Amino acid sequence: MSLIALRNMTKIYPSGNQHITAVDELNLFIKAGEFAVLAGPSGSGKTTVLNIIGALDRPTEGAVAVDQCDYSEMSKKELADFRLRRIGFIFQSYNLIPVLTAAENAEFTLMLQGVPAEERRKRIEAIFAELGIDGLENRRPGDLSGGQQQRVAIARAIAPEPAVILADEPTANLDSHTAEDLLDLMRKLNREKGVTFLFSSHDQLVISHAQRVVHLRDGRLESDTRQDA
Amino acid sequence: METITLAWRNIWRSRRRTIITLIAISFSLMLVQGFHNLAFGVYAQMIDSGVRSGSGHIAVYRGDYATSRDDRLSWELAGLKEKVTTLDGVRAALPRVYLLGLAQSSRESRGILLTGIDPVAENDINPLLKKIDAPELIRSLNGRDALVGNRLLTELKLKIGNKFVVTAQGPGKELVSELFRIRGVVKSGIREVDNSLVMVGRERAARLIGGPDSVHELAVILEHPDLEDKLTGEITSLLGNRENLSAVSWEVAMANLANAIKLDYASQKFIFLIIVLIVTIGVVNTLLMSVMERIREFGVILAVGATPGRLRRMVITEAFLIGVISMLLGNLLGILLTWYLADVGIDLRRFVPETMEFGGVVFDPVMRAAWDFSYMIKMSLYVLVLSVIASLYPAAKAARILPAEAMRHF
Repeated sequence: MSLIALRNMTKIYPSGNQHITAVDELNLFIKAGEFAVLAGPSGSGKTTVLNIIGALDRPTEGAVAVDQCDYSEMSKKELADFRLRRIGFIFQSYNLIPVLTAAENAEFTLMLQGVPAEERRKRIEAIFAELGIDGLENRRPGDLSGGQQQRVAIARAIAPEPAVILADEPTANLDSHTAEDLLDLMRKLNREKGVTFLFSSHDQLVISHAQRVVHLRDGRLESDTRQDA
Repeated sequence: METITLAWRNIWRSRRRTIITLIAISFSLMLVQGFHNLAFGVYAQMIDSGVRSGSGHIAVYRGDYATSRDDRLSWELAGLKEKVTTLDGVRAALPRVYLLGLAQSSRESRGILLTGIDPVAENDINPLLKKIDAPELIRSLNGRDALVGNRLLTELKLKIGNKFVVTAQGPGKELVSELFRIRGVVKSGIREVDNSLVMVGRERAARLIGGPDSVHELAVILEHPDLEDKLTGEITSLLGNRENLSAVSWEVAMANLANAIKLDYASQKFIFLIIVLIVTIGVVNTLLMSVMERIREFGVILAVGATPGRLRRMVITEAFLIGVISMLLGNLLGILLTWYLADVGIDLRRFVPETMEFGGVVFDPVMRAAWDFSYMIKMSLYVLVLSVIASLYPAAKAARILPAEAMRHF
């Protein structure tokens, strides 16, 4: 049973009088526990696919199901709840909320879920220790390095224990050493906790760490390979 | 880290902009409260002066005397003054006779308004009499002492101690005359009053229109203006169906003054409207700028699972907090301004004559504020509500953000 299933999924964006096909009849199935990357050059449709899987955008045609849930008919509120409970996001530029501390950022999704404050604190303490950022709980994002910020973003993503974590170019703003450390960390979470990761990246480092590499070109599937990582 | 904490931190992101907005709103509230209280104080002083020299807070008239001023609408006092005086909240009841007539000296004659008063009760209340030295006041209800307006005195070419004759139309349309001796001079500062006023003992004046107990008006002075409605009811009950008598408010009896105040306050409301616009624009500007700057962040918040409603609530909470701070700060400043205006006031004596007329009453050129707490509370709440209303558009804009598009926003 696939955790993520895209069937003949097409996404067309209007652009003035023209239409741009970002994704063209894509079929893609990701199983639970996979550590996969959508690779391809800029404009190949990686981010569009990730946005649609993450319920941030809707497909023009075709069907999308995540964790056996088809959200094509959901309202904005239902979509928000779907994202909150089933999807974790990690972004290229971390996107932490600058007025919140590292711990508050990490527990933001738990707060949205209505988890009591004490339980939130305990869970975040454990996650911070696991990610090697314990002691940074009370720092604001502006006082953290890029790598530390991205670790906080990972903490925010994994805290609510989602079905899948979608990471859009998560290492693009990091130096190669920090990027490697983070990828190792995410791989560890994948192996030890069974967290499913789906990346979009054209970074060879990310591609080399992935268990499965799905190449896209012009919105179409070019290749789908498995590798030892 | 609930909505209120996040909103509080958000409003201090752009500290300078928030402070400027808070100052603009607080100063607006201060000005509205301070200048309303100043107007409130000035109007209260004018009303007080007006009711004391004019109709009282409540006046008892027969028929439509309040508007027609028909001399024939006199009535018998028959103990009403004493009954009204015993009511709780009544400071004084002043029976008066008003009669248009002709004053004649040996050399000149002038049209006058003969006013018959109860000197003992009136001396303590009527501001026209307060400036007059005791030996110059009217001594009895039925004597021949008279106080005349200073301009009338000059026009009749008379002096204190001189005699003059007042001729008026009696109850049967016949001409009746009385002789009076000038005991004192009234200087009100109001041209019409100083040109035509002749004050005499009430019973002497009443002889010209019938019996000594006849009056045209019973002016009721209250301990506090707020008692007007309650005491109007009580006096109306006392009157029953007597001689078509009714108790009317000073606003009816002194329509000129009431209308002048209403007109003046209407022009102030226009200024208040401009201040309200400043508040609205200030809040909308601050929040809209704040929302536009955070589009990407809002996209992220939505992406990680916040509902558009939560985002809307957060922006509205930010406005609410701005409203609360502005309200507290504005009230503090408003209290300080009112306190200064009530204690020191604004002295216009350099710019205007010593006595000024407004709506038929003398206007004190040193303007002083009075506390109108209900208005201050109302305006404070208004600022709060307005801040929240002004946030609805920015909040709706934030809630309409599409996360995928917003995260492409830099």
